[in-house]
Amino acid sequence: MDALQLRDAKRTPYLVKAVARILVIDDDACVSTAIQAILARHHYDTTLSSRAHAGIHALQASQFDVVMVDLFMPGMNGLDTITRIRSGSAVPIIAMSGFRLRNSLDPDQDFLGMAMLRGATTALRKPFSPPQLVAAIDRSLGLVSSTEKTMQ
Amino acid sequence: MTRKENRADYPSYLKCVERGGQRAEQLEADRPSPERTRAANEVGSAIAHQLNGPLTALRLYIGEIRQNSDRFRETAEAPDGMQQMVEAAFQETERLCAMMRLIADTFEEPLYPETAAALGRDVISWWSRSGSAEGGDHANAGGPAGAASSPSIHSRLTPREREVLSHVSQGCSNKQGAIRMQIGPRTFESHRARVMRKLGAKNAADLVRMALGERPVTL
Repeated sequence: MDALQLRDAKRTPYLVKAVARILVIDDDACVSTAIQAILARHHYDTTLSSRAHAGIHALQASQFDVVMVDLFMPGMNGLDTITRIRSGSAVPIIAMSGFRLRNSLDPDQDFLGMAMLRGATTALRKPFSPPQLVAAIDRSLGLVSSTEKTMQ
Repeated sequence: MTRKENRADYPSYLKCVERGGQRAEQLEADRPSPERTRAANEVGSAIAHQLNGPLTALRLYIGEIRQNSDRFRETAEAPDGMQQMVEAAFQETERLCAMMRLIADTFEEPLYPETAAALGRDVISWWSRSGSAEGGDHANAGGPAGAASSPSIHSRLTPREREVLSHVSQGCSNKQGAIRMQIGPRTFESHRARVMRKLGAKNAADLVRMALGERPVTL
């Protein structure tokens, strides 16, 4: 996604929404299928990937407007996946996780916070509702140009 | 060591911390070993990890159905009370999701997501199996039927064996459990072996899982 498109995305969100392509990287097919079903009703085009490596390949092969990444996956974990994506692309990333805390020794450091540190645009706690999902997508599309500054 | 009166209800090792005069060795014996705590935590996080996916999907579907459920009211052929049922299903799902969040916050993340998924599946399929032993027809469902199926354990064990199982599930070793029940370690061991045989548990971790299955709500 180049800079011109980014600016267009901010200016005309409705137009972008109609054609926005979402990549969902989650090893749990029931989750990604549900996300796809909900997003289809909101006129998003969703592509599913059950593995981190496959998802990164898909991202290199084709253009996406938002990537959703589950933090717990076999093979490459979600945090590393985010780092890999961020090293080559400014695409908005939504990090998803059911667990908040990394471990009991360091309760301040949570997974979703770490995902943000690694460059995720938005964090989404599982289980999330359809309005939360759609809001996260919309927010990601709107926040495109300030990806690096969205740490909270 | 006048603990006879407390034997029947000795729910938690925390109780013994309150008793100041006890020997350090005793306190040590009553605390679950780090390995057991770790194992219980792994099982808990595996269950949470495994349940989170289906719950996420459920919340998405129900939420979307509810958003469109006002159409039920408008169409004449819609069955009576359908909108209320959708609303109720939505509320129950929200409740489940709130519980799920609490559970996920209670446990640390699984050490390895690969093993967590396998372990979680294992636990859940065990629930389904133990449910089908009594309940009959959801033997190969592999679905949501299993969760409420714990009574079968209780009916198969003697009171003594149940007590042993509860101590093992709290993280007691043979020695610790024996001290709590005021019996010899060998006796405790033989009780435990019988429980394992009856329930078909292969090892202590299996037993802990089963005990966790007994009290899914307190997870």
